Amino acid sequence: MMEPILDISGLNLSFTTYGKRTQVLHDVSLRVGKGERVALIGQSGSGKTVTMRAIIGTLPIPPAKIEGGVIQFEGRDLLQMAKVERNRLKGTGISIIMQDPLLSFNPVLTIGRQMDDIVRYADVRLGSKRNSGLRKATILDTLQKVRLPDGAQIYDAYPMMLSGGMRQRVLIAMALLNKPRLLIADEPGTALDVTTQKEILKLLNQLVKEENLSLLLITHNLGVVREISDRVYVMENGHIVEEATRKDIFEQPRHAYTKKLMTSVLPLYGKRVRNFENNRQSDPKIEIQGVTKEFRGKVSFFSKKYRVVRAVDNVNLQIENGDIFGIAGESGSGKTTLAKMLLALHSPTDGQIKIDGRPLSNFSNSREFRRLIQIVYQNPGSSLNPKRTVTQALTVPLKFCGYDSTQIKSRISELLDMVDLPKSYASMYPHELSGGQKQRVAIARALSVNPKILVLDEPTSALDVLIQNTVIELLLRLREELNLTYVFISHDLSLMRNFCNRVAIMFRGQICEQGETREIFTDPQHAYTRALLSSIPVISEQEEQQKPKVTDAERQAVLASSTALK
Amino acid sequence: MAFYLAKRTLSLLLVLFGLAILIFIIARIVPGDPARIALGPLATANQVLEMRHEMGLDKPFIVQLWDYLSGLFRGDLGKSFLTSRPVMQDIVGALPATFELVLFTIILQITISIPLGVIAAIYRDTWVDNISRVISLIGVVTPGFVLAIILQLVASYKFQFFPVTGRLDAGIDYEATYTGLLIIDSLIDGRWDVLGDALRHIILPSIALAAAGIGQVMRITRSSMIEVSGRDFIEASRAYGIPERVVRFRYMLRIACVAPLTILGLEFASLIGNAFIVEFVFSWPGIASYGVRTILEKDLNAVIGVVLVSGVFFVVANLTIDIILGFIDPRNRLREGAEK
Repeated sequence: MMEPILDISGLNLSFTTYGKRTQVLHDVSLRVGKGERVALIGQSGSGKTVTMRAIIGTLPIPPAKIEGGVIQFEGRDLLQMAKVERNRLKGTGISIIMQDPLLSFNPVLTIGRQMDDIVRYADVRLGSKRNSGLRKATILDTLQKVRLPDGAQIYDAYPMMLSGGMRQRVLIAMALLNKPRLLIADEPGTALDVTTQKEILKLLNQLVKEENLSLLLITHNLGVVREISDRVYVMENGHIVEEATRKDIFEQPRHAYTKKLMTSVLPLYGKRVRNFENNRQSDPKIEIQGVTKEFRGKVSFFSKKYRVVRAVDNVNLQIENGDIFGIAGESGSGKTTLAKMLLALHSPTDGQIKIDGRPLSNFSNSREFRRLIQIVYQNPGSSLNPKRTVTQALTVPLKFCGYDSTQIKSRISELLDMVDLPKSYASMYPHELSGGQKQRVAIARALSVNPKILVLDEPTSALDVLIQNTVIELLLRLREELNLTYVFISHDLSLMRNFCNRVAIMFRGQICEQGETREIFTDPQHAYTRALLSSIPVISEQEEQQKPKVTDAERQAVLASSTALK
Repeated sequence: MAFYLAKRTLSLLLVLFGLAILIFIIARIVPGDPARIALGPLATANQVLEMRHEMGLDKPFIVQLWDYLSGLFRGDLGKSFLTSRPVMQDIVGALPATFELVLFTIILQITISIPLGVIAAIYRDTWVDNISRVISLIGVVTPGFVLAIILQLVASYKFQFFPVTGRLDAGIDYEATYTGLLIIDSLIDGRWDVLGDALRHIILPSIALAAAGIGQVMRITRSSMIEVSGRDFIEASRAYGIPERVVRFRYMLRIACVAPLTILGLEFASLIGNAFIVEFVFSWPGIASYGVRTILEKDLNAVIGVVLVSGVFFVVANLTIDIILGFIDPRNRLREGAEK
C-alpha cells in the first residue's frame, strides 16, 4: 500500500444537544494514499459530512466533541496540533470543494475579492507576503487551470453573474489557490445538470493528475464514484461498513448495506431495467397543441423595448389515459413552465391545451378543473405548511370539494391508508415526519379531491435513493388502483427509464424527441438526447457500453458551455 | 450606480409630491373653518369673510391647491397665525435643533445596537446574550417619554451629571452660523466649551429617543448574524483558513447588516413621532415643540409645514439607507441599474 497522506484511525465523535449526547461517528478508520482518489459514500445522515468537517476543522465544538481517535495528515495528528499550526494547513495542506455552487459564494463580494482573501490570508498564516499584482496573477493562473479562459472578467464579476457550471469551476479554483496536497470534494457537481456534471468530473480527474493531488470524495451518488475514485469506503450510521477497490465494490459488494445501495440505483440499460407499459387506447387525457409561452420583461423602466423569452416553443403532445408520461430536460428547458400551463397557473401565449377532451378555456368552473388535475411538488419540506398538521393540510382541499366534517374525517383516514401512513400521523406536524413520509402526505393531499391526472414535479429528487424507490412503488400502485394518469417532470433520466411508458425530451423550449421510453433510450435520434444520455453516471461497465455515442462536435453544438461567459 | 441613484431620487420626489397633495387635502377636510379658528370665537362674520379672502379660502379648491403647490415650489408655506411669521421662517429656525437631535440619535443607535447585536450573536446563549436580551427588551417596552422623565430625574436632578433641559446653558454666548448644528459648528469654530456643553445637553434626550430602536435593531442584528453564520459560504471561508475576525466582519456582518439598516429606515417614522414628545419633555427648541403648539392651536399652515418637513426627513433617511444598501449588497443595484 502506498504511503498515506491522510490516515484516520478509531475516530469517535459525538454531538450533545439539549443535554442529550448522541454518538455520530463510531471508530471510523480511513486512509487516503498519496495521489489516490478515495470515495466515502453513504446516505444523508450517515456521518460522512461530519467526518469531512472533522478533517478540515470546521466542526462546531461544542456541541460536537471528539471522544477519541487520530487524524493524521502527512504523519502529524491534526487533533493534537496547536491551533496556529492547524490553521496554517487550512487551504494550503487540505482544501475543500464545496458542494453547492449557488450557495457557496458570498453574494455581496466579487469573485476576485473572495479569491484574493483566500490567497492573502494564507500568506499571512505562512508568514510570507505577495503584493496584490502577484496575488492576482496566481488567481488568474488558477482560473486557467480549471479551464476558464475569461479569468479577468470573472475576477471582477459577482457570483450571480455566472452560470452554475462556471461557479462550480470557480469553486474548484478556490480550493486549488494555495496548492493543497489533499483535496476534499463534497458532492461535486451533483447540484448541476448531468451534462455539466460530467464535464466537472472530467476536470477533477485531470486536475488530480496534473497537480499531483490526493482526493477524498464525499458523495451519495454511486455513478459519480465509479467515474472518479480508486478506492471506496461505505459508511452507514457512523460506521465504516465496507472498504474495497472501485472494481470490487461494483462487481462484488460484500456488506448488505452496500448491496442495498447498489440495487437502489436505477439501471439505465440491461436486465434490471423495468419496462413500464401502458395499453394505449385513443382516450387522450391531455392534448397539447402548438403551445408556446413567452415571457416579456421590460428592458428598463423608461424604455418601451421588451426582452422576450420563449420558455416553451410550439409544443405538441398527446397524453393518453393511464400514461406515465415523462417530460425530461435540464434546468431552463421549459419543462416546469409547461407543467404550470397544464395546471392553468400560466396561460399559453399561443396554442391550445385540452384536458379530458375540453379546452382549458372552457373550464369556467375552476372547482371542476381542480378536481381533474392536481400536482405533487418537488420538495415536501417546503410544499407543506410547517405550522399545520397533516389533518389541517388535508382538510383544505376536502372542504373545497364540499365535504362536511364527518366525511372529512373518514376521507382523511382513507387517504392516509392509501399512502401507507398510520392513522395516528393525522395529528402530526411536518417536522415530525421524515422526507418520504412528508412526500406521502403531499401525495395524499393531491389525491384528496379524486383527480384523474397528477402532475409530478420531480417528486423524488429531494429524497434519498432508498426512500425514492418506495415512493415510486406507491405511485405505481396508486395509478393502478385509482386509474390515474401521470405527467412526470424530471431531470432524472434513470428514474424515467424505469417509471414512464413514454418520454418527451425538452431542449430550449422545444420537444426535440418523444416516443416510447425504450426506443428513446436504446435508439435516440437527436444529438441532445444522446449527449444527455451519455452524461448520466452509471454503475456498471456494461451500461457504460450501451450508452449512445456522441461526438465532441455534436456535444459542443447542443450543450451550453460552462467555461465561457454568457 | 448613477442610474440606480437617479431612479431612487426620482421616486423620492414623486413620494414627496404625493405627500404634499395628501396633507393639503387632509387639512381642508378637517372640520372647522380655518379663518374662524384663526380669529377666535369673538370675531364678527365680516371679519371672518375678510380673513377667508385674505387666506384664499373663497377661491375654488383646485385654485387653492395650485396656489399652495406653486408656493411650495418657491419655498412659501404661508403664514402662521400663531407667530404671524412665514411658516418657512419658523421651521428653518427650529429645524437645526431637531436635525441635530435626530442625527445624533441615529448615530447612537447604529454604533450601539449593531456591535451589541454582533456580540450577542457571537456569544449566543451565554450570559452575554442574556443580558443583551434583557437590555433590549427594556428598551423596547419603555415608552420614550417615560425614559426621558426617568433620565431627567435620576441623571440630572438627583446626581446632576447632565443639564435638565435646553440645548445650551444660558450663560454661553454662541451663535451657530454654518450648519445650525451646535456640535458641528462649534467644532469648526474650535469652541470646545460650547461643544462639551452641547454634548452634555443632547445626550439624555437622544438616549431617551434611541432606546426603542436600539433594542429592536440589536435583536435583528443578532438573528441575522446567526442566520448568515449557517450559510455554506461561511463554512467555506473558514475551511480556506480565513481568520475568524475577517469572516465575522467582512463576510457575515456585511450581509447581516442589511436587515437592521432597513428596519432603522422604517423606524424613522416612529422616531420622529417620539421626538415630538421627547423634545417637549427636555424643552428642546426644535420643530417638535413648534409642531405641538401649532397643532393644539389648529394653526393649519404651520401644521402642514411641520408634517411636510417630517415627511422629507423620513423619505430622505430611507433614500440614504437605500443608497448605503446599494453599496453593501450589489444585488440591489445590479437588479435595478446595470441592465441595459
